[in-house]
Amino acid sequence: MTAAVSQIPLAYVLVFGALLFGLGLYGALLRTNAVRILMSIELMLNAVNINLVAFNQYLSPGYVNGQIFSIFIITVAASEAAVGLAIILEVVRRRNVIDIDKINLLKW
Amino acid sequence: MSFPLTINLYTVFFGLLAFIALVAAYEVVTNRLITHAAFFLALVFVAIAGIFLMLGAEFLAVTQVLVYAGAVTVMIIFAIMMSQAGEVKIEECGRPPFTRRLWMRLVSSQWGLLPLVFALAFALAMFGVYARASWPVRMLLADRVGPATPNTSLVGAQLFSTYAIPFEVASVVLLVALVGAIVLTGKEDKS
Repeated sequence: MTAAVSQIPLAYVLVFGALLFGLGLYGALLRTNAVRILMSIELMLNAVNINLVAFNQYLSPGYVNGQIFSIFIITVAASEAAVGLAIILEVVRRRNVIDIDKINLLKW
Repeated sequence: MSFPLTINLYTVFFGLLAFIALVAAYEVVTNRLITHAAFFLALVFVAIAGIFLMLGAEFLAVTQVLVYAGAVTVMIIFAIMMSQAGEVKIEECGRPPFTRRLWMRLVSSQWGLLPLVFALAFALAMFGVYARASWPVRMLLADRVGPATPNTSLVGAQLFSTYAIPFEVASVVLLVALVGAIVLTGKEDKS
């Protein structure tokens, strides 16, 4: 446990994570630009990482299980961004739309 | 779980980083220009790396800067560049009356207060859940652990012993993502 952890209440970190997740959720649900939706998903994944690290450091200091989960989440997030952006590029190349409200076919 | 109001140097710095991250996240969601949104996303990532550092997760902070602020942001900016996405011009059509502007500001999905209201409501709901729980916040006694093991070596030791198989699976996931991205974006109309 570092000095900072013993000084910051756990609730602060959790509320910050929830706010960040809420903003990301809003972006993922209500914006229609596909790239922006991917960015919002990254925001949400980051909020989850913050929660994992916070619980790790406050509830079981000395162990790093939560941080390792975060590392795996970062790995999956990077893969997800790569594949998602590739799919978006392909859709843009074929249909020339980026607005997901206009993409309503699974196959064409 | 209680919500104590403590003000010291640590909470002030934490609040500063959190404020930067939240403002930048708001910009990511609402900014009209998607390129600006991408750069604000990088700012969010860096601020979160700072928060990881404050929480004592040094390895994760460095990973965050390398992977998110470095790789993911660049990838997103490349995608924006190649897809020429989104730079929508919003035409000015006179100045609407004040009440109408206020209403637009409130409900519009692009500039408005709605993201803030949504996030606040979500955080309030989550806090309602958290408030019912009671987590035993443990303090590590300094005399019991002796000299603290560096965070990075702890992570490394765990990653290569307990979590060795997930680690290998993660490498396969990365390989699949690599191949998938190349296959998806590769030129195919040569035939």
